[in-house]
This record gives sequence, structure tokens and C-alpha cells, in this order.
Amino acid sequence: MEISVIGNSQMKIGKIEENLRDLCISNFGNNKQKSRVLFDQSKIKEKGNYGFRFPLRATQSNVIPVEKTSASPNSISVDGVNLFVGLPVDTVSRDNTLNHERAITAGLKALKLMGVDGVELPVWWGIVEKDAMGKYDWSGYLAIAEMVHKLGLKLRVSLCFHASQEPKIPLPTWVSQFGEADPSIYFTDRLGQQYKECLSLAVDDLPIFDSRSPIEVYQNFCESFKSTFSPFMGSTITGVTIGLGPDGELRYPSCHDSASHNNHSGVGEFQCYDKYMLTYLKQYAEKMGKPMWGLGGPHDVPSYNEPPCAKNFFKDNGGSWETPYGDFFLSWYSNQLISHGNRILSIALTVFGETPLIISGKLPLVHSWYKTQSHPSELTAGFYNTVNRDGYEEVIEVFGKNSCRIILPGLDLSDAREPNGSSPQSLLAQIKDVCRVQGVGISGENLSLSKVTDGFSNIKSNLSEEDPIVDSFTYQRMGADFFSPKHFPMFTAFVRGVNQLDIDVDDMPETRRVAEPVHVKSEVLQVQTA
Amino acid sequence: MPTVAIEPLLHHSLRQQCPRINPINPRKLLPFSLNFSSRAARICGSYSSYGRSKPLFVTACSAISTIPVTSQPTEIVYSETYELPLVQKVEGKICIRLDQGKDGDSWILTVGCTLPGKWVLHWGVNYVGDVGREWDQPPNEMRPPGSVAVKDYAIETPLAQSSSSEGCLHEVTIDFNCHSKIAAINFVLKDEETGSWYQHKGMDFVVPLVDYLCDDENVVGMKKEFDSWPGTFGQLSNMLLKSEGPLCDVEGIDEASPELALANRILEGFYEEQPIVKEVPVSNSLFVSVRKCSETDKNIVSLETDLSEDVLVHWGVCRDNLMKWEVPEAPHPPNTKVFKDKALRTKLQTKGDGRANGLFTLDKEITGFPFVLKVNDQVWLNNRGNDFFIPLSRAQSVGSPSDEIDKKVSSESFSGSVTKDEDPPIENQEVLQTTFTDGIIKEIRKLGTDISSDTKWKRKSKEAQETILQEIEKLAAEAYSIYRSSTTTFPVEADLETEELELPTELCSGTGSGFEILCQGFNWESHKSGRWYMELLEKASELSSLGFTVIWLPPPTESVSPEGYMPKDLYNLNSSLDEFMTTFLFLAVTTLGNRYGTIDELKTVIKAFHKVGIKVLGDAVINHRCAHFKNQNGIWNIFGGRLNWDDRAVVADDPHFQGRGNKSSGDNFHAAPNIDHSQDFVRNDLKEWLRWLRKDIGYDGWRLDFVRGFWGGYVKDYIDSSEPYFAVGEYWDSLSYTYGEMDYDQDAHRQRIIDWINATGGTAGAFDVTTKGILHSVLERCEYWRLSDPKGKPPGVVGWWPSRAVTFIENHDTGSTQGHWRFPGGKEMQGYAYILTHPGTPAVFYDHIFSDYKPEISALISVRNKNKISCRSIVKITKADRDVYAAVIDDKVAMKIGPGHYEPPSGSQQWSVAVEGRDYKVWEAK
Repeated sequence: MEISVIGNSQMKIGKIEENLRDLCISNFGNNKQKSRVLFDQSKIKEKGNYGFRFPLRATQSNVIPVEKTSASPNSISVDGVNLFVGLPVDTVSRDNTLNHERAITAGLKALKLMGVDGVELPVWWGIVEKDAMGKYDWSGYLAIAEMVHKLGLKLRVSLCFHASQEPKIPLPTWVSQFGEADPSIYFTDRLGQQYKECLSLAVDDLPIFDSRSPIEVYQNFCESFKSTFSPFMGSTITGVTIGLGPDGELRYPSCHDSASHNNHSGVGEFQCYDKYMLTYLKQYAEKMGKPMWGLGGPHDVPSYNEPPCAKNFFKDNGGSWETPYGDFFLSWYSNQLISHGNRILSIALTVFGETPLIISGKLPLVHSWYKTQSHPSELTAGFYNTVNRDGYEEVIEVFGKNSCRIILPGLDLSDAREPNGSSPQSLLAQIKDVCRVQGVGISGENLSLSKVTDGFSNIKSNLSEEDPIVDSFTYQRMGADFFSPKHFPMFTAFVRGVNQLDIDVDDMPETRRVAEPVHVKSEVLQVQTA
Repeated sequence: MPTVAIEPLLHHSLRQQCPRINPINPRKLLPFSLNFSSRAARICGSYSSYGRSKPLFVTACSAISTIPVTSQPTEIVYSETYELPLVQKVEGKICIRLDQGKDGDSWILTVGCTLPGKWVLHWGVNYVGDVGREWDQPPNEMRPPGSVAVKDYAIETPLAQSSSSEGCLHEVTIDFNCHSKIAAINFVLKDEETGSWYQHKGMDFVVPLVDYLCDDENVVGMKKEFDSWPGTFGQLSNMLLKSEGPLCDVEGIDEASPELALANRILEGFYEEQPIVKEVPVSNSLFVSVRKCSETDKNIVSLETDLSEDVLVHWGVCRDNLMKWEVPEAPHPPNTKVFKDKALRTKLQTKGDGRANGLFTLDKEITGFPFVLKVNDQVWLNNRGNDFFIPLSRAQSVGSPSDEIDKKVSSESFSGSVTKDEDPPIENQEVLQTTFTDGIIKEIRKLGTDISSDTKWKRKSKEAQETILQEIEKLAAEAYSIYRSSTTTFPVEADLETEELELPTELCSGTGSGFEILCQGFNWESHKSGRWYMELLEKASELSSLGFTVIWLPPPTESVSPEGYMPKDLYNLNSSLDEFMTTFLFLAVTTLGNRYGTIDELKTVIKAFHKVGIKVLGDAVINHRCAHFKNQNGIWNIFGGRLNWDDRAVVADDPHFQGRGNKSSGDNFHAAPNIDHSQDFVRNDLKEWLRWLRKDIGYDGWRLDFVRGFWGGYVKDYIDSSEPYFAVGEYWDSLSYTYGEMDYDQDAHRQRIIDWINATGGTAGAFDVTTKGILHSVLERCEYWRLSDPKGKPPGVVGWWPSRAVTFIENHDTGSTQGHWRFPGGKEMQGYAYILTHPGTPAVFYDHIFSDYKPEISALISVRNKNKISCRSIVKITKADRDVYAAVIDDKVAMKIGPGHYEPPSGSQQWSVAVEGRDYKVWEAK
């Protein structure tokens, strides 16, 4: 049983009276009295429950002066941060029509008015080159480019050579057909399970598609893109991101059953069991004079969802990862990934090097188990980064060498919200440091829509560092949730915050203007039914 | 008794059973300027003065006592006590007792309450044989002395001081005879001090006196007896059904049972307690003192409060007379944390006597100690909207003029609002020229320019920004509604060529041409004539010549109430007697001759208005609809007529109507079944109906009733489908008040209206209830400063989204013979001088047009039309003082309202008086 205190308002009690008007008039004074008092009540309630109005005022009043006057020349100039918003993954449907075109149009206009620089558009291999090798249909994407151009926004294109689970966007049908014939073109784990969302990096240079190699296919795709979109190059289209692997990221699909490389409970598994990878491993082992080490991956590794301590390989203080074998395997495994990165990025440089486009590739932020000595999640994902060794130097060098920038997701994460052992912030700091040293720029991204201002303030603090290595940010991504009243006002405040980095997002007065969860319990007393 | 769950409490740990309750008399807290004029403050040497002529924030603490202290041997250099008003929840009980009286037939119901307050029992009865849950007034002999009848369905009886046990402070007793035909006593409890209603599980308390009501979930007292009832309900109804056979439908039970029920009445006494929670303002205080430690030359600030909760001091320090919060160097006081490198947070230590205190030792360079308090990690307390600020630098020279100015300037820079228009008080001007204050002013200016430079946002002017923000929100709302409404592929249809990135100026249903002037063409009595349409027809040409472009007609459909707001068969626009006689005879009796006219008369009057160039709005009541039939439980939720929906069309979350639809997407209107607009069939039917009204009847647009009841996105759907020329929604909820006084800041209120407009994708406008409410306070209390918001714009919806604001001062609910919220009497013309010169689409109430005000209203309309003032005109507020408000609109019209003096600026323009009346004046540029 419960008792509720309710307020009342002066709503239209009168409308439910039928022929009672005369009585109503006689009590009119009384009525009026009532509604006045009742207003108090609702206000008091609001105060009690939503006292946070005070802090806004309070902090706002102190913060602005502090921040403003202390604005040092080092702080990011406003135009320094380019802010992009990702378009929906399924902006263009499989039959090359536009999804939610009206919504996107409205959304783009809103973004333009907000001062967002542009949008990021995922371009899918499985849509453009769906039916046959070399047969491209760019019509849907051209329509988007045209739309973005008309609105005066910039466009960054992500060429996706992988598939998407949700929404479902598979690889080109002809690629899948080759895959059926030879499943070894996919990444394969210890148990022989294939990851069919992208091709294994082992086949990069192998003529698996009727005498053509995936690298050639990727390159042709890029060339076709370049020539088709040449009218937009440099003006509307300012950047291109080339897909490097699962989810476009440079990594192994080490957690392929959970679709995420940040599977917090488990460490993932090595993906070197397709026949081509095994061949390379064997050759490498023989070359290193350790033929016995080339017969497969490590035996003492945990399975996907097990913690690092479940088996010996990743254990702190004396796990196999620290042995010569461990070093042998991890060096080879990570070098395979780095070479693959180099191959793809050099295609990008070859194709787009002379265009005004900014070329980039995406690194994952594999922050699970970062606080352990062996960094097992990073190891299975292909980054030989442990407590003893900086695994990102070589990786980032490849980007630098190919004049590519890095897309780095996870700027919205904070250690506090992640489970023990994980540390997105430390990993971010490490990667940023390496980038700073090597002069490779970072474009940040968020991993999920921020449901709380927390995420936004994390992003903001990442963008407002003294030495800005992250000079551009893409907010992922537009969709129903993005525009929902729960989210959009926070995003608006965030954009204003980015454009005025010296004011805290949560201090912005605008956060007050937008829809608060105002629970006005103004119910009319139930007096009569019809 | 079932377990008791109480609504979440603000303070879970109430240490005292009965805390100190100081109900604050609003009168005592009226304008701060009265209590704290700078002059008075200086005389007593206090720091409570802010030298402001108007309270910017009406939330607050006030210094209640100030101890002027100069450098004395005690070394106390500053001390002051602040009042900290808080709202606390106090738990108590409602006691309900049913006893047998002196003789066997008389019974006594006692309702008591253990909490202090001015309690009133608001109650009514059901008679045996009543259907539904309508209340009736109890027979006279049941009414205790002091009872007041409320309308004709309820009684209000004040609770008296209690004489009984059980700890009740107040109680009321109702005597009744068990042979009276009363089936149940229903009540709710009201606290007149706070205006709160106390219900039982969100519904009325019901004390059933016959058995068949016992299965309702909100009954009290009877549950345990139920099973042992001789002849339970189930058997009873079975018997009835059997005996009556097929002749009797399910509803028959209700009709047939009274006699049986009476015969079976076996009342048993009971006693029950229900927990209640009351919110009471509690006043605590904060005592601040500063001591100078002569040995270390440091200042020791001491805070002491009698708040019993956890108190966190969120503080910083200021140096060099700059109002920057800084974090002082360590060592910090114990229990201190650094918050975001900007402030420190120190928890006050609770002492044995329930008081909490904290000591802050500050270096002598520190010139100020700003802080706010956070109570229980939930509620922030500050000093009348500003941070608390304790000056330290020249603490010895308390009361010197320069300190006063320090204080003034600092408080302004703290609140972040620097009003340019406001001249400093004359006595201070001289001192303001000092280099020191210059420095601060520069600082403030720098602030302003910093904010306005360099940023993509700030390149645009403030006004444009506001419009852009609204535009952004509108676009986002549109995008969201598209996503929500469909996840499938849309055909390519958007025409980019025509969609330029401009602010919307195109013709839009929310605004019509932008130059509309609306006439509400009826009042609460209009239905009585029986031929209202025909009466209006005679006035068509006059309304047109007055300058009206849109008329809003009353709801046309068949309705349970004669005014039309309880619609039943939406397609029956024929409310003539004949139809009623044949179909609903009983209704005809109640509505005899009380309607607006027939469908043909309606069509005729619409045509007539079209002929004189006036568009016609239909009053579409689509939030709720009265049912034709009862369901098997005797609940009215089955509809008839052309739209013969069943209970699936009724929202599920109003227990009175047992709907089977989805939960309501808005607030419920409790007097009739609320329509579930989330159902496709409902929306399709309503769209078809609107299109029919538009096409066959001839309406040009809609006035949408009670749109708080359903999601604005559905309205967009209706608007898109019916393509009205003009549409306006009634989104009416209450403004913010603090202790009886309307808050200056009504942003939350107008935001709710804006949110609704946004949800409609901007396709409909909304009545600017905010502006009406503020005008009430302005005119009733002579507080014209309220008409300028902190940004110097109109404080209502019209200040934020003028093109969607339909301004009004009165309608059939607020005024007319209902008077639920009547505009201050005699000051209507000031209201019209405001809305008819300002942006937004003004609406004029019928009663005012056809009154002595007609010539003045007519003159104002012609000024508006002559100067082409539109809903998007630019208003520049030139004065907002205590007794006068003035503005210039589009540089073409100047106006003032209020008794104070004002002349428009004689700069580039020459002004000539166009209209003049009591306390208002309107000029036109020559």
C-alpha cells in the first residue's frame, strides 16, 4: 500500500462539470484560493527532488571567471577541434537506397546549425561491390555526398572492408562464395571456428579471387571511389578512413563470439589457425631455427571468456608470455598485424596520396586487462604491448610512415566505469604519448552514445589537453537514440562545450534549458467519471 | 493489512520524530529589496546587502541577524547568520476508524491525522445503486458542522483538534445511519497550508459500507472480513445472473444488487492507519564568523549550522579581489576533497548537540571565501541564488563604502549576469571610478568578449542563437519522430533544392501567415443560446472589420457536457434536439437547448467567416472521449457511433477506465477515458475525422484541447495529415512558485511548452500560458520588472519561440463564468496592450471584444496591423522597472504598461501616441 502526495493545478476542473456551473460560481473564490496554494506545492516538490538547479548556478558563477581568465595560449583554439558526427551505419541500404532520408536531412541541418564540421559516412564493400568483383554501384553514397555538400558540411568517408552484424551488412556475395569454397580466407581460431566478418590478413597478397588478391581488390575499390567522387574531393570530402580489419580496426578478431574486443570477463584467443597463417608461422619458426615452435599457437592459453589466470600463458610473474617461446610467438603474431596494416595503409597512400584527403586508419582501444602484466587482451588482438614492452611504437610508426592519422575510439571511457583490470584511460594516454612522439595525429571517437554527461565530460577532457594530439573528434553515431530527448540535449551542450572548451559541459547554462525530467505531478483530483 | 510502501523520501534518516517546523509565511519573505536595501545594510554594517533593486533569484536564504563587530579583543572580524530554508518530508499517519455509535444503527467514521497542519477532509459518498465512481454529496444529516459543499459532489470538512488517543492531532468524525442508502464514503485529505492532497494509492480512500465494493484495491478496512462474509460476492452475483437470466446483461448486477446488499449489510468496526508524508519547509541557520589569528596572521573562518543532515561545503578562495574561485594550497581542513581542480569539498563535523561545524584557516592573501552548501549530497543551498561570499581582505574595515561596492560588484560577477542597462546607484558612481573597480569591470568585459569571440556559436548574435537553438531542437525532434515512427526504408522524397538552410519563414501550420490575430469566439455560456453559430454569424463582418483573421469556435461534437469538452460521438456534430430524442433520450434531457447549433448551421457560419476573410479553427478534443457503453465490469469504456472503438482505444494507466491500450504518452485527464494515441487504428480514425472536418465541414485549423495528455509527436501526425492553416495546442500546467510568490525564472515552465511544440516538429503553436501567468504577477503586484528575463527578452514562450506562441490573457476556462485563473480585474487592457503589440500570435477573448474594451482593443489591433507587426517581430525591451515596462517593437511601435512614467527614446525616430488608456500607452513611429 502506498500513499502518494500529489500536487494539483488549476487545470480544467470546470470542464467536467455539467450543469453545475451555478454551484461552481458560488465556490469560485474558494477555487482560486486553492490553485494559488497548490502552485507552491509543486514548486516545493521540485526543489526537493531536483535540487541540482542550485549547483548549476553555483558552479557556473564560479567557473566562468576562473576558466576565462586562466585561458592560456596553450588551450586549444576553437577551430582546432574538428567535430564530426557519424551517419547511421545503414545510411545506404543494401539495394542502394537511402534509409531515413528525411530524418538524416533534418539531422544534418541541425548539425550544421550547431556548428558541427561534418559527418562521417561508412561506405560498405558489401553494398558498393555487392554482386560481382569490379562492379561498383556508388549511387546511394553519391546521393549522400550530394546532400552533405548542399548543406555545406564536410564529409569523412570510411571505407569498410568488413561486414556489420547489426544492422546486418554482409561482405559482398561473391566474396562469401569464395569463402564457402575456401574457409581459410577467414580468421580461424584454435577450435577451427571462422570469423566471417572480414578476410584474414594472411590472404592479403594471395590470389584467392580468381588470380586477384584482396589487396588488389581493395585498391581497385579505392580507385573507383576516388574517380567517382572526384567532384567532391577536397571540398566536401575531406578525409578517408581505410578499413583495416574487424570493425575496420587494425586487430585480430580475438573475441569473435562476443563481437567486441573488449570482452571484460575473458581475454580472447589468438586467431592464427587458418591454413595460411599456420604456413607463415611454420616458415617463420624454421627461419628462426625453432621448427617445433611453428606447429601452432600456444597451448596454455585460456579460452575466450576465461580470465587471464585461468591458464599459464598470461599469468603475472612467470607466465609463458615472458618465456623465449612466448616472445617468439607474440613477436610473429603482432608483426603479422603490423605488416598487414602497412600493406593496407600504403594502398591508401598510393591511391589518395595526391588528393587533398586526410588519410586515416582505425586503431582499437583494447583496454581490458590492461592493468595485468601481460595485457592479454591486447596480445590476442595483436598488440605486443606488455608491462615490459611498448607495443604501440611499431604500430603507430606504420601510420606515420604512410602519412596516415589514427582514428581512436573510446574517448568517452573512464576507468571508473570499467571493471577491475581494465584501464581505458591509461591505454589512451600511452597511445597518445607515442603519437605525440611520432607526430601522428589522432581523431577521437566515442564507443557508445553517452547516456550520461559523464561520457561527454570524458571526451571533453580528452579534447582539451594542453598539447592537443587529438585535434578532431567524430561522435558515433546518428540514429534514433541520438535524437532522443534523453540524449540530444546533452549532445547539444557537448557541442557547445567543445566549441568553447573553457567551459565545462555540465556547467553550461544550456543544460538547464533543455528538457529536464520534470515530473510535474499535477493531477486533477479524481472527482467524477463520465 | 498489506505491507506499506512509502514514496521515496528525500531524507531517509529523520532523526527526530517531529522536527522543528517553521512554516514560513510568504508575506514575511517578500521582496528582498525591502529587507535589504543597501542603505539600511550599511548602517548596521552588514554584508547582506547586494544593492540590487530586484531579486534575480527567488530561492534563497536571507540573513536574519547581523552582528556588527569591529576589531575587538575577541579578534572576531566578521560574523553573520544566514537562514537556510529546506523542504523536509515528515512522516505521519492517517487514522481511519469505523465505530458503532450509541444505538445499533448509527455508526461513526473517524478520520484523523498525526501531523500538524490545516487539514481538510474532502469527501463524498456513493449511494446504493450508483454506477461508476462518481461522488455525490452526503445527506445533510451526515455533514459535520463546519462542512462546506464543493460543487455538488463533495464536502469539505476541516479536521478539528483531536481528543482521542492514537496520537492523532486532528480528526473529524462523520456520523451516519447504516440504513441510509450510502454504499461507500470516499475521501481524500487536503492540507490547506501547503495545498497538498493526500490520496490512497493514487486514488480516493474508499470506506465501503456495502459488500460489493470490497474487491476494489483502494478500499480500506474491510479486507479481512471479506472471506467470512455470509454469502460472498461471487455467489451473490451468480445467483443474480441465474435468476435474471438472459434478460439481464452484466450491468444488471449493479442495478439489482442494492436491496440485497442493504439486506446483507453487516458493518464491522475497524481501525486502520495509513502512512503519509508531508513536505514542510524547515528553517535552519548557518552562522559564519571570521577570526583573525594574531600569531599566524591568518583568517579562521568558522561555519556552524544546526542542519542535522550531512553538510558538505563546496568552497574555494579568492585572491586579489578577483572573483575567481581558486583552490588554496594544502594543507586543507580535515575531510576535504578536491573537486575537479576548481573547488574543495569539506564535510562539516557533527558535534554532540546536533550542530555541525567546520573551521577553515586561510592565508592572509586570500581576500574572499566563496562557498555553497550541499545537504545530504542532494540539495544545494546558496545565498539567494548567489554563492555565499565571505570577504576577508579588509575585514577590519567592515562597513566602509568601498567594501560595499566590492560586495556589489562581486555579487554581480558571481551571478554571471551583468546588466548593462542598469545604472549603478548614484551614490556609488564616484567610487566606481576608482582603478580597483575599473579593473573588475575590465575583467567582466573581457569575460564578455572572450565568450563572444572565437567560437562558431558566438559569431552569431544572441537573438539569432536562441532562434538557432530552437531550430536545432525542432530538427532533432523531427528526425527523432521519423526514426520512431518507422524503421523501414523511406522512399527518396526529400527535395533538397527547396530546403535551404534558413530559419523558417515559410508558411507553417503553427503560424498561418504570421500576421494572424485570433478571436476566441465563445465563452463558457455560449452553449445556452442553442443557436450560438447563428449569433456568431451576425457578428462575422464586425469581427472582420475589427481586424481578426482567425476565429476559434467551440467544440462541435456531441458531448456529455453541454460546453462540448466531453466529446462522445465525434462524427455527430448535430446536437439538435431531434437526434437526441431518438437516440439518447436521457442526455437530451440534460442538454436540452444547451448547444451551439446544428451541423448545417456550423457549415453556414464557417462559410460566412470565410466570406469575410476569417479562417475558422475547430476545437478538437482528442485527448479523451466519453464512452457509450459499459464493459463487463460496469466501466464506461466502450464507444459507439461511427468510431465504435472498444477498451483497446483507452490508455491502460488510468485505473478508473480499465483501458486495454498502451500506457498514456502524457498526463491523464481523469474525468473521461483517455484515448490511446499510440494505436494505429485510433490515429487513423482521428486523422480521417480531422480530414473530414477540414474538407466537409470547412474548418481551416485546430485548437487542440489538453495536449498535455498525449505525445506531441502524435499531434504532428495529425497536423501532417489534416494540413491545417493554423494550429494551436493547449498545454497548460502550473508555473513555479516559491512560498506563494511566483518565481522570476519561469524557464522550466516555458521549456515544457517549447518541448511540446518541439515534439510536434513545430507544426503547431501553443498558448503562451507562461506569459499569462507572469502578467498576473506583474499586474497584481506591480512588479513590471518580471517582464524582462535575464537575457532581456520576454519571459514567456514568446521570448523563446515567438512564431509558435499564441499569447492570450483569458479564455473560457480561466475567465468567463468559470474563472479558474482569472486575469487581474480591470487590468485587461494592459494585458492586451502587451500581447497585441508584441510578437507571437495574439488571441482575444470573446467576452473582452464585446465589452467596454472594444474600442481600445480595436485601436490596438489596427496599430498592430498598420505597422505590420507579426509573430516574428523583434521586440526590444527598453524598460522593466517596478512600476513600468516599456518596449519597442520592430522599431515601429513603442509601448509601455504600468503606472510609471515612460517616453520612448527620441533618437532617430519621432513618436506619436497611437493608443492610450489606463496605465498603458502605445506610440507609432512617425
